[in-house]
Amino acid sequence: MWDVSSRTIVYAAIGAALYGVTAQFQIALPGTANVSLRPSFALVTFFGVAFGPIVGLFVGLVGNAIADQISGWGLLTSWNWSLANGLAGFIAGWWAMSMMQGQNKLVNAAVASAIGVVIGFLFVFTDIWLGTAENFGVAMSDNYIPVVVGDLIVAVILTPILVAAWEPIRESMGR
Amino acid sequence: MNVAPRYLGRGSWLARRDPRVLILALAAYVLAAVQVWDLRLLTPMAVAALLYYRSAQIPWRAVRANWAYIAFFIGFIILVNTVLTGGELRGFKEADLHIYFRLPLLSTPISAEMVTYATVQLLRFGSMAAMGFPIAFAMAPGDIGPTFARLRVPYKFAYAIDLTFRFLPSLATDMQTTMDAQRIRGYEWDRVKGGPVGRLRKLGPLLVPVTINAIVGAEDTIDAMDLRGFGTGRRTWLRQLAYGRVDLLLLGAYVLLLLVITALSLTGHTRLWVPDVLIPRPG
Repeated sequence: MWDVSSRTIVYAAIGAALYGVTAQFQIALPGTANVSLRPSFALVTFFGVAFGPIVGLFVGLVGNAIADQISGWGLLTSWNWSLANGLAGFIAGWWAMSMMQGQNKLVNAAVASAIGVVIGFLFVFTDIWLGTAENFGVAMSDNYIPVVVGDLIVAVILTPILVAAWEPIRESMGR
Repeated sequence: MNVAPRYLGRGSWLARRDPRVLILALAAYVLAAVQVWDLRLLTPMAVAALLYYRSAQIPWRAVRANWAYIAFFIGFIILVNTVLTGGELRGFKEADLHIYFRLPLLSTPISAEMVTYATVQLLRFGSMAAMGFPIAFAMAPGDIGPTFARLRVPYKFAYAIDLTFRFLPSLATDMQTTMDAQRIRGYEWDRVKGGPVGRLRKLGPLLVPVTINAIVGAEDTIDAMDLRGFGTGRRTWLRQLAYGRVDLLLLGAYVLLLLVITALSLTGHTRLWVPDVLIPRPG
């Protein structure tokens, strides 16, 4: 799980690049002010669940930074959000590989992703220190809840779909 | 879909700097800027950031869409912070505010403090974005890996960052090809019906083939790296980086800025300061 081989590096790089490429897709949730579904986020939890916490961390951290860079917001302007994405991928990967071995892989993927999102994005409360959120109430209602709601929906739906597509191929490749 | 790095500032003064300077200067500036709420400090900092940005000679026409996105995002941050806090910002209570008028319905006070706060946020995030642009547009894409490696990022991680940028154009092409192929079969993602969750589920025909193809196709890259003994010893980089005198001066200036701002912040000199000109006179 903690080995960093050429396979780890290439999968991490592919995941981060895919995140950057697919970050253009966003689906607004009707009736909410600032909650949108980011399908690209499912790649963070999928790569974490499928290839381990190191890959999940890299895909979230570097993928989000690159997506910010492509949009113009800047590589480090919201570094804490990139780290939060990375933590979500890390926790999802760690949980799937160490806590839920031997269970249904699709359920495992959904549960690990949900745990990763809920815990990993607690890091966005650092916005209070950075001044992006004025106080705890703003950080909770404007940052944490919108991102967790949106990413939970995305991760719980799309991660199992990606795992279901990957598992037979992984077995046929002998990985 | 253009996600490949664009080297728009090629040949500019900033592009000739050691690329590590661009990363370190940005990090120092971001850490300094987040501590400052005093316009008297932030304004010269923002001017310095603007001059830094200008030295990268990034053509306005090529990045105006990026700036529009930034303006929208900063506006959003200002709006939610001012409205959701009811105008009580940076420790100011309503009794301390110099109120101009109240918003209808919400009754949020629009005050001198709020205007100052909005200006600070605008300058802060605008200048941070200006400092970040040169990394995207004035750093040679091939320098990204060596830069992070020479910043003592573990070489495997630095190589992964380098590889990420190399994969971007080909994966963007794969994504476009898949979208076109699915369109021929009658699937158009932006016209899929069924509400947000339904649209999300129906994203599978696009996301799954691109992701799985990329992973399966990565075997060639992994084999190539293994055959060349990647990871068996310390990696060296063909591109050599060396700080010049100007690089060190520039870097020193930003490190000094960070130290001075941190000292001022610790002694309470960076709090929100409201200019007299914004305070309404009685009568």
